[in-house]
Parts: sequence; C-alpha cells; structure tokens
Amino acid sequence: MIATADSRRRWQRIFLIVGAVVAAYALLAPLTSLDAAQSANVPLLADKFWFRIATYIVMFVVMATAWNIIGGITGYAAFGNVAFFGIGAYTTGMLIAKAKWPFLLALPLAPALAALFAALIGLPLLRLRGHYFAVASLGVGVAIGELVQNIDYNGRPVFGGASGLFLPIYAVGHRGLFFFYLMCGAAAIAIAVTWLVLRSRFGYGLIAIRENEEAAAVLGVNTTAYKVGAFALAAALTGLAGGIFSQWNVFINQDNAFPIEYNVQMILMALLGGTGTVFGPAAGAVLLQLLIQFLGGSLPISFELPFVSTEARPIVAQVILGVLLVVVVIFVPRGVIDFFGGRTRLSLAYLRRSLRETSL
Amino acid sequence: MSEAAAPQLELRGVIKRFGGVAAVDGVNFEVAKGEIVGIIGPNGAGKTTLLNCISGVHHLDGGDIRWNGDSIAGMAPHRVARLGIGRTFQIVKPFGSMTVRENAAVGALFGSAQARRGVKEAFALADEVLELVGLKAKASHPVSALTIPDRKRLEVARAVATRPQLLLLDEVMAGLNNVEIDEALEMVRAVHATGVTVLLIEHVMRVIVGICRRAVVLDFGHVLVQGEPAVVLQDERVIQAYLGERYAKRLKS
Repeated sequence: MIATADSRRRWQRIFLIVGAVVAAYALLAPLTSLDAAQSANVPLLADKFWFRIATYIVMFVVMATAWNIIGGITGYAAFGNVAFFGIGAYTTGMLIAKAKWPFLLALPLAPALAALFAALIGLPLLRLRGHYFAVASLGVGVAIGELVQNIDYNGRPVFGGASGLFLPIYAVGHRGLFFFYLMCGAAAIAIAVTWLVLRSRFGYGLIAIRENEEAAAVLGVNTTAYKVGAFALAAALTGLAGGIFSQWNVFINQDNAFPIEYNVQMILMALLGGTGTVFGPAAGAVLLQLLIQFLGGSLPISFELPFVSTEARPIVAQVILGVLLVVVVIFVPRGVIDFFGGRTRLSLAYLRRSLRETSL
Repeated sequence: MSEAAAPQLELRGVIKRFGGVAAVDGVNFEVAKGEIVGIIGPNGAGKTTLLNCISGVHHLDGGDIRWNGDSIAGMAPHRVARLGIGRTFQIVKPFGSMTVRENAAVGALFGSAQARRGVKEAFALADEVLELVGLKAKASHPVSALTIPDRKRLEVARAVATRPQLLLLDEVMAGLNNVEIDEALEMVRAVHATGVTVLLIEHVMRVIVGICRRAVVLDFGHVLVQGEPAVVLQDERVIQAYLGERYAKRLKS
C-alpha cells in the first residue's frame, strides 16, 4: 500500500520534471529568436507555419480545460461553449475595430462579457439536467452565432454581418511568437484555475453536484449558485481564448468565431485526456489537435494515406478521428492521463476492465 | 421554563399533494430539543414525503413548518441545511468518485453555520465524525468498496458533519441484520449524545422501542396516533393500519 503510494509519487515527480523540461523547451527556445532557430534549422521551430498550429493547439488547451470546469468537474455536458469563444472574439473585435480601443485594454472585457452572458443564460439553462441541458446549450451556441451575423441596425449590420469584422494588425515584433505566448498565458491561467478549484470548497461543491445534486443540496451546497459560477468561470476562460484569437487572426466572422465543430472537439479533448482532472483536458487537446493537423496534412512531418486522393483526405481524416474516439471512449474512459504518473499501465487487462465498466 | 417548553421543530397542518393524491394531508406534531422521535407507518403513509417537506426537497401545498419559531416552509434545501437540519436518504446517495473521508468533508465544508469552514479544518471534522460513526478505519476507501451497512453509516456521517441541531434519518436500519442494527443503534445513540435532536423513520420496531421516547404513527398522510412507542404499538388503530381490520379483530378476540 505504502510502497505503491511512494512509487506513484515518484512517477508523478518524474512526469512533472519531464513535462516541465518539454514545456520549457517549447516556450523558451523561440525566445532566443525565431530567426536564429531558422538559420540553425532547429526542427519544428524552423517552420513559421508550425507556430500557427502551436498557437491553435494551445487555444484548444484553454477551451478544453475551461469546458472541463462545467462539463468534467460539475458534470453538466455543455455543448454550446463556442458561444463564449465567439462572444469573447467579438467583444475584443468590436472594441478594437469600431471603438478603436487598444488590444490589451479590450482583452479583459472578453472574459468579463462571456462570463456575464453565461451567468444570465445559465440561470434558466442549468435547471435542466442531462440530455436536456446538452441540447439546450447547443441551441444557445448556434443561436448566438446566427444573431451576431444577422443583427442589423438601420439596415446596416452591427457586428460586421456576413462579411465579417476586420481588425487592425497589432503592432508588435515577432507577432506569431507574441500570440503564441499570450495563448500559453491563457492556458496557464486556465490550468491554474482548475488546480485551485479542485482544492477549494467551491470545487468540492461542484464535484458533489456532479455525483449527486440532491445530496449536495441537503448538505448545504447552494447548487444553483455553484452551477452558474462554474458555467461563468468556464465561459470567462473560453472568452479569453476568443479575445486573443480575434486580434491574432485579425479577421473574424461567424465561421471562425462560432465554429460548431469546436463544441464537439473541446469535449472530445477533455474526454480523451481525462475529465475532472487538472492536466487531462490539456493533454487531450494537444494529442487530438496534433492528430487532426497530422491527418489533415498540416504538420511538417509529411505522410501519405494509402488509397486516398488528396481531395478526399480531410473526409478520411474525419472518419479515422471518429473511429479512434469511439475506441478511446470505450477503452480509456478515464482518459489518457490515467497512464501518466504510474497509477495504471496500458495493458490487455486494463482494456478488458474498461470495456466491462463502459458496457454497463 | 417556557423557553425549554418551546418546540424546536413544529409542523402545522402540513400538506403535500402529488396530482390528486395528498401524500401528506394536514400533519401536526412537534419535536422538542434533545428528543429522539420515531415516525412509523405502513408503506405509502407519507413518511419520506414528510421528511422531504421538512428538508426543503418538496414545496408545501399547505400548512407551515417552524424551526425554532421561524417558518422554513418553501426554503431551498441548502438553506434549511445551513439552519442546522441535516438529513439522510433512504436510498443512499454517496458521492461515488470521492473517498469516505471526502464525502464526510463535504458535509463539514458546507452544512450549518457551526460546520462551515476551510478545507483543512473540514477534513479534521470529517475524521472526528467518521470515528463517531465507526468508519474511521475506512476513511481513505473509495465509496465503491463499502458494504451496505457502511454506506448507511456514511450517509449518517455526512449529515452529522454538517453539525446539525436536528438530524432526520430515513430508514438507516433498513436492510441490516440484527448485529448491524445493534451497531447502528449505538451510532444513533452516540450522535444523540453529542446534543443532536433526532427524528427518524423506521420500520424496525425494535429500533423505535429501543431508542425513541415518542413515536408518531402516520397513515394515509395523517397522524394516526402519537405517544410512547410501547403504548402506540398496542393501539388498535395502529394494528389495523398495519395489518388490516380483520387481523386487528382477530387479535382482540
């Protein structure tokens, strides 16, 4: 008993150290200047396109980690979190493009407005449970995107309409690096918030709600306030990612600020990595996004799919992704984070046990 | 004198309907501080519904419930809990992903004004409570590793950790064997000894006679009889309610 606890702790430490070294390399290497890395031909860093993908990956780390707070810790499967991403994107977008605010002043308003919206919509929505909540939140996610595109005032679109919203380019040296680091900052905040939540009274209240809402209530948990709080917190973090995205991408419209597929992707990432954990969703986001980019052929590591033409490739990639996720949900129900820290090892027995659990 | 006589919990004409059925139909009774009162009655008499009314799980359709003189009718469950009324569920509702200790700690983290505290202190209180109910040795176990009697203990531990003045127990002895019932009785006595008033629903008459000073018999949502358990159980109306008119007559002759 004690021996396993000890070895678990040791493995956790090793995992943390290795993780920290990898993270430090990823974060600090580009600091030494992208040009130097390019002239030295350091793998991955030599490719500017890679930075775009890396920023995307970190953006999903933020969104998946944020979703985990309402979906994983509180147990309310929110399917419309992209609404908060879009609200964040359009908040900074409008403030910068129309009100001429500086970016860093406009950015804090993205999470604030997203959280406010989540609190207002959460009060009626979070009275629903299970599938009803999932479907209702999906409806909100879709509706907000449509609203933003179609609201007109005096015959002119308020939010840029179908032609979208153009932002002035943010004047900063190494733009790609700047936004990569900014997104990493957001991810660090999201992970730190999750870590703090899980150690607080708030977190215990949320888990109690997930496990049995009625029992939580009679023990004194203000379930409504806690659920709305978790929803707003998730919204704020998602909105922050959206706010950064709008200035980074310089152009936003309904398609890139409210993509329906993000709703599903952030949930799958959290599931793949391990819901309810601190690092699971982040791990899931990195893995799944890398896989999506790999299958889509965007990664510097090139490959050929046999029997597949270039045009059919994205579709085949989606199919492969779908099959893989079904397998993961059935066989690794607690997420890949389970394999880190030496708690469990991937083995035939593990897969068999998982299958028994999930087939109940 | 008059202060001591004032009831801690007072039910006045409490009514709860489900559609056309009045599950609780004008129930009046009082519980004084420090009492152990048993609620008995045949299946469907409205016992659990009554507990749900007190703990705020159900909204009342009529009447009033007073707690230390103030109305708590229509109050949300978490507010009732914070006033110092703890409860257990007949069908246990543990937090499955947590350890035994964490389950109890949730009660200590939230609960009444006497309980609410920081995470560290909450775990200390949880440990105290687990010792009281006899679950200390299994504090670090996951809930899934607990036996049925232990799950019932955990249900009580969680409620006790909220530091209630009144504890509502819904059939914590159901499904236990004789030895386990004795242990559970000891547990309820130990909790009561810490100064907690207890209102319990029970089908096991040995429990009612063993620890209750007073029993309230419910039938079809009404209070049929109330009084000393041994006397109440001999009452013809009670026998009739449980066993039917014919059996009651045969018993008399």
